Amino acid sequence: MHEWGVARELVRQAEGEARRRGAREVRSVTARVGPLSGVAPELLARAYEVARLGTLLESAALSVEPDPVLASCRECGREGPLEGAVLACPRCGNRELVVRGGDALHLAKIEIEIGPEPPGGEG
Amino acid sequence: MCETCGCGLPEAAKRRSGEHPREHVEEAVLYRGLLAANDAQARENREHLLARGVLGVNLMSGPGAGKTSLIEALARRTRGRLRLGVIEGDLATDRDARRIRALGLPVHQVVTGSTCHLDAAMVHDALHRLPLDALDILFVENVGNLVCPGVYDLGCQLDGVLLSVTEGDDKVAKYPVAFRRANFLCISKTDLLPHVSFDVSRPGQEARVLKGDLELFYCSSVTGEGTEALLAYLEAGRAKLS
Repeated sequence: MHEWGVARELVRQAEGEARRRGAREVRSVTARVGPLSGVAPELLARAYEVARLGTLLESAALSVEPDPVLASCRECGREGPLEGAVLACPRCGNRELVVRGGDALHLAKIEIEIGPEPPGGEG
Repeated sequence: MCETCGCGLPEAAKRRSGEHPREHVEEAVLYRGLLAANDAQARENREHLLARGVLGVNLMSGPGAGKTSLIEALARRTRGRLRLGVIEGDLATDRDARRIRALGLPVHQVVTGSTCHLDAAMVHDALHRLPLDALDILFVENVGNLVCPGVYDLGCQLDGVLLSVTEGDDKVAKYPVAFRRANFLCISKTDLLPHVSFDVSRPGQEARVLKGDLELFYCSSVTGEGTEALLAYLEAGRAKLS
């Protein structure tokens, strides 16, 4: 269950970036998570529900963008994404593959609100 | 859902924002690594080890694959030819550290509590508790777990996975993350092969899909079989540092 630490880091980085840009609030946050990253998106989402409390992300929905494992099959030559982390060619079933990608673990995007100046501000 | 403009925000967030609807919303495209802090610490660990001429070796496996026994077997085999030290990682107890200390090797036990893996910061703290100038190879025995340790770079020069023949020959594709990180795979407990059904070629084939240049070893810590080859590989890795 290392997803808790990853969720906290996601919130920490997103909040830091939002503050740098003068945001009042983060509306949504997107993580990019590959099947070879070692992080389960559903556990990350559950941990995020707790990690976001009391932060600028309190109301921000989390979406997870996939980062598929790309494979070339040494048998039939198919090139393309695999299903999850199943290391077999989806066309011919062969297991002799060359794989790349699929290990992303990124804070991809945030959508932030730049609010009105607070009352009494310099605005 | 906000009833004023349908923006999807709950009431509390709407109130906090002061004015409604908002002045402007923008998207920031970032694509930043979520393990950046760990990776930076890992780089520092790697430089620290390199500066002292120490080869760091992260050993990963499920619980009971024989990591501690392998370190003991390698220590017996090397007979002082290489100066070994160990960082032990466990959820609880210093049982492994006591076994290593009994061999006369410098050891530091990291007790992780409920944390299922070591990370670069834990290794950094441990590095300062070991006599690095008196070591050639530092084993970092990770928490017994074939899942989470694979996620974290510890800053070792080599990462290795042990897979014992009693665990089954189908584990590589089931737990791909640790094998993707590995420089070497050691099939352990080979003395038990006559008693189990285990295709010795299968783990290596599957692991090389994940990591093309993976080195493969077959070891028994009981008979000592294969430990000389592994030791020679580690010694060559140590020699490349200087």
